[in-house]
Amino acid sequence: MGTITVDRDDPIKGKPLVEAHHDFGSVTDAVCSVVEKPPITKAWWISFFIAGSGLMLLLAMIAYLFWTGIGVWGVNNPVGWGFAIVNFVFWVGIGHAGTLISAILFLFRQQWRTSINRFAEAMTIFAVICALVFPGIHVGRVWFAWWMFPLPYQQMAWPQFRSPLLWDVFAVGTYFTVSLLFWYMGLIPDLATIRDRATSGIRRFAYGLFSLGWRGSNRQWHVYERAYLLLAALATPLVLSVHSVVSFDFAVANLPGWHTTIFPPYFVAGAIFSGFAMVVFLAVPARELYGLKSIITMRHLESMNKIILATGSMVGYAYAIEFFVAWYSGNIYEQFAFQNRAFGPYWWAYWTMASCNVFIPQVYWFKKMRRSIPVMMVVAFFVNVGMWFERFVITVTSLHRDFLPGSWGFYMPTWVDICTLIGSFGLFFTLFLLFIRFLPMVAIAEIKGVLPQAHAGHGHEGGEH
Amino acid sequence: MKRTIDRSSENRTLGDLGPLLTRVGGIVAALGILATLALAFTADHGVERFFKSYTTNFAYFLSLSLGGIFFVVIQHLTGATWSVTVRRIAEAIAANMLLLLGLFIPIVFGMDIIYHHWTDPHAASDPVLAAKLGYLNKPFFLIRWGVYFLIWVVVSRFFHGQSVKQDTTGDIDHTLRMQKWSAPAIVLFALTTTFAAFDLIMSLNPHWYSTILGVYYFAGSALSAFALIAMSSMWLQAKGRITQSVTTEHYHDLGKLCFAFTIFWAYIGFSQFMLIWYANIPEETEWYLHRITGSWLPFSWGILIAHFVVPFLFFISRVPKRSRAFFRFGAAYILIIHWCDMYWVTMPEWYTDGIHFSLMDITLFFAMGGLYLVGMARGLGKASLVPEKDPRLEGSLAFENY
Repeated sequence: MGTITVDRDDPIKGKPLVEAHHDFGSVTDAVCSVVEKPPITKAWWISFFIAGSGLMLLLAMIAYLFWTGIGVWGVNNPVGWGFAIVNFVFWVGIGHAGTLISAILFLFRQQWRTSINRFAEAMTIFAVICALVFPGIHVGRVWFAWWMFPLPYQQMAWPQFRSPLLWDVFAVGTYFTVSLLFWYMGLIPDLATIRDRATSGIRRFAYGLFSLGWRGSNRQWHVYERAYLLLAALATPLVLSVHSVVSFDFAVANLPGWHTTIFPPYFVAGAIFSGFAMVVFLAVPARELYGLKSIITMRHLESMNKIILATGSMVGYAYAIEFFVAWYSGNIYEQFAFQNRAFGPYWWAYWTMASCNVFIPQVYWFKKMRRSIPVMMVVAFFVNVGMWFERFVITVTSLHRDFLPGSWGFYMPTWVDICTLIGSFGLFFTLFLLFIRFLPMVAIAEIKGVLPQAHAGHGHEGGEH
Repeated sequence: MKRTIDRSSENRTLGDLGPLLTRVGGIVAALGILATLALAFTADHGVERFFKSYTTNFAYFLSLSLGGIFFVVIQHLTGATWSVTVRRIAEAIAANMLLLLGLFIPIVFGMDIIYHHWTDPHAASDPVLAAKLGYLNKPFFLIRWGVYFLIWVVVSRFFHGQSVKQDTTGDIDHTLRMQKWSAPAIVLFALTTTFAAFDLIMSLNPHWYSTILGVYYFAGSALSAFALIAMSSMWLQAKGRITQSVTTEHYHDLGKLCFAFTIFWAYIGFSQFMLIWYANIPEETEWYLHRITGSWLPFSWGILIAHFVVPFLFFISRVPKRSRAFFRFGAAYILIIHWCDMYWVTMPEWYTDGIHFSLMDITLFFAMGGLYLVGMARGLGKASLVPEKDPRLEGSLAFENY
């Protein structure tokens, strides 16, 4: 081989990240028009009405809970942790896809992330809001919920620093703060774009206020890029740490089925798994209804489905290793906990979990399945069901039959538990619908960076500019 | 941005370095084996100690090749471009599996010493062990290792073989085939590595169990393989090979991987320690009790500092990743400290009262290391040092961090 001239901007696999007909202007138009002249007002209003009703239901259930007390829930002795913790862990997990996409995939230079990161980051924020509702309302005496924070006051009573529940307060609080900053900072250039396109004074003012005087100068972009990289680096450990700390809620205990050393990475994998399933589940209808199929392409969906397969297999690995080691331990309590999970009174929950999380995603070994819209909607739905059940299985099956058969019990949710869960989806979807109505759901500026037009030499061979 | 890479006069074959490596490796191995034998037959309990030191060193060299398999397979699975120019080195590291199969034989003969807890005929009278003798017994142990090696040898030879074939045919089908098989390969890799770690390390103390141990062994394997790839590539470049193909950019990425897996290793190690310490269940804490008893306590602190804090601070900056002088040092450091980690996971199970150092720990390192070099020379000598006709080669040459 003689002298060759190589060009880093010429990818070997020339698959475009967005469909070829786009240029800078058409990307801006496609994304901004969703906010400026929504193509589907009726469907949005119907969805908003349903989601808003869910939110009202949540508020009503919380009011009823505060008025009456924790007794309206199904929690009992021995199952002191019920839906509240299950829903908390579920929602924290949903958020993880956003952070993985915005932080880790950014550091890995995975350019396909640009079409979906805004969307997924928004989901992170909303999911964490949903999650944060539950620790707040489950404390019983809610007027003391502020005791979760280490605030100095005259009684000098501090929270229990040795409790992983307190670590959760810090872990999830940090996670929410960093995610919000990351999301908002990424929004600034796009908010400025909408401001500059605004036709009414009120829009110009509102978007202008939040775009913080962005002018798109070189200096601003330089600072922006540095800040983005730094936030990505800071958010990367958060992807791992948040759900690791959440897993400590269970794993530091002496309880068989909770106490196992693989919990931290296993929870992280499960969180990313469920988060991606939620992104797919929402991205598919959104791109369809808002005409963004040329920006969120089949390639993006397929990549996400591959991640679902990979993380789903990691979760399956953890299930298998847990089972094996429970047997290998020779510890009858460990063995019982796992037999009881799979064949005890909650066998239906266990097998729902295993089918949805381990068996169903295996269809993604086939490219055809990864690229089929109906298949991915079904799989994404089941993955979310399965991951909710995983937390249910972990929480309830280990508690309901503890070391003393005399104190065994059974847990079933009440109508209030179920309505609160439904209501949390109402909160999530209300926030999500407001997001797609008022904010650009695709990162316009970042998409432009991965268009071929943005690269040196485009259009004139060998030239530099 | 464009730059010109002139590969016309570059030497991309191992050439006379092959015989040199073989000679040096052979001499080191021979001296190591002789010294080991001398020590084994003269020292008190020499034979016993031989098998223990041997297991530690076997765990170390096995982890290097497992890390090599991981590196190769994950590049195909993700369709990575940047790594093509250093992949052949990883393929050679992985292909050393056949050598490791041979190196496993002494373990077969030493099982009664190494795994005396469960190979002892009285093990069945221990109720905890009795429950798991269906898994921990000699025939099944050997069958499992047979399966692991079958998978590792087939996987490593397949990826090496396809890649080498592509050098002559230039057929893109090889790439597609490797991509296709990389997914099942990673599943097999995860399962075999986990159970190999359980068998090799966890069963040294058959009362103890930890679900994360397989991941711990994997984290160290991958980390040390990244270091070994960087180290080998730098040595080859110092000897005038692949001087153009592997650039600062490739070292920068290998350095990032070293940094990331330093943290990942610490995360996994911390998860295991924290959960066992906090729950404080005697059958689990025993493992750490051995590691805080006597002189093992400073050793354990040393592992924490030298395997996490030092490399974390070293690799966090851009400079050492892009400077060969620094990186050479960092990579060698990781390879040494990973050996200490393998020492730390194995030795306290036999010497529960404190460190009992033996010269055989070192002589066996040289004996196996020498053979490992001979194996690498064979692997690297078979073909060009860079996958010549990989469709992503140009992208890899052009790769830049920005």
